[in-house]
Amino acid sequence: MTFDYALRLTEVLMSFAFILQSIEHLKSFNNERILFSLRIVLSVLLVIDFYSAWVIALLFLLALIILHRFQGPYNGGADRMGLLVLVCLCLAHFAPTPYWQEIAFGYLALQLVLSYLISGWVKVVNPDWRSGRALRDVFQFSTYPVSDSLRGFADSPRLLFVMSWSVMLFELLFPLSLFSTESLVVALVIATCFHFANACIFGLNRFFWIWIAAYPSILWLQQRVFTSA
Amino acid sequence: MLNTLKLLLPALLPSWRFFDFIAPSPRIQFALLRSEDEVPNDWVLFRPRPAYLSFTQMLGRMVWNPVWNESLFMVSCAERIIEQPTQHSEDEILKRIRFELAADMLGDMKYIQFRLVTVQRVEKELVEEFVFQSRLEPIVR
Repeated sequence: MTFDYALRLTEVLMSFAFILQSIEHLKSFNNERILFSLRIVLSVLLVIDFYSAWVIALLFLLALIILHRFQGPYNGGADRMGLLVLVCLCLAHFAPTPYWQEIAFGYLALQLVLSYLISGWVKVVNPDWRSGRALRDVFQFSTYPVSDSLRGFADSPRLLFVMSWSVMLFELLFPLSLFSTESLVVALVIATCFHFANACIFGLNRFFWIWIAAYPSILWLQQRVFTSA
Repeated sequence: MLNTLKLLLPALLPSWRFFDFIAPSPRIQFALLRSEDEVPNDWVLFRPRPAYLSFTQMLGRMVWNPVWNESLFMVSCAERIIEQPTQHSEDEILKRIRFELAADMLGDMKYIQFRLVTVQRVEKELVEEFVFQSRLEPIVR
């Protein structure tokens, strides 16, 4: 995957994620409606590649206003990832040389790998995660399960033990997939299924779309580092 | 400006510590009152989750999930209040509860108030703890 193609694909996928997020605010309060209508317009302009670099810069300024409006991300980790993608795209466009453009886009790929590796690490060092107890707590009393019937999973400790270890092992082993394009593609398909399950069970749909938007960066970096070597 | 940059920093250098430990989970409950002196007794859980969601409904929420995402934002506000109460978080929760309530539910009520209750596991038991009560907010019609 070429740098230009990966960058363009990221722009389109990020715009799609931003449009989905922003439409949800159109029935909200006036000030939210204005901010997110503007975001939809800018995202559409980015999809059609209309002065992309400047549109991304405007999206970044708007993101700062939205961050200030909600005194933090509206939707936690998903919005933070959106900001990270946006900042890396912005830097990749405005960096003075191709070398620094690649560094900026490569930083997004690096953070994507860390997003899995660190989440796996912080879980595996916690005895509650290793025993399956933590995931049981998530189902039993956390805010996330989208329906009461899903809380019933808390009564299946063996299943949750297997699920906990599946998640931890996948997250910890994710960096190893970088050694070949094929293994990376398989890992990204598994990761997509993981985010899809999280979206269905915990209502974290924003994570699904914005994480996918970062995938071209890792596909590009993998080929840049391992195929060029 | 400095505050906004401070808010931006965790996005540029993320910690990625998702679900590293399962923290006490806040629940938002609200009460409607006729006067400032009334003591709220009937606390109502804000947006109780549905008993069941079909797979088709879950699929639909992949692209259209405004109520749930707003609820997650309100939980973030609740967590911020528990950590360090701020006017902004209290305002956001009060405003969104008020926006949700239909006119017929408000009746002759004059004020709205919410409280935060956390749920956590202590040993094998689930324990609820009352942690915060908001100011009284006049209901503007």
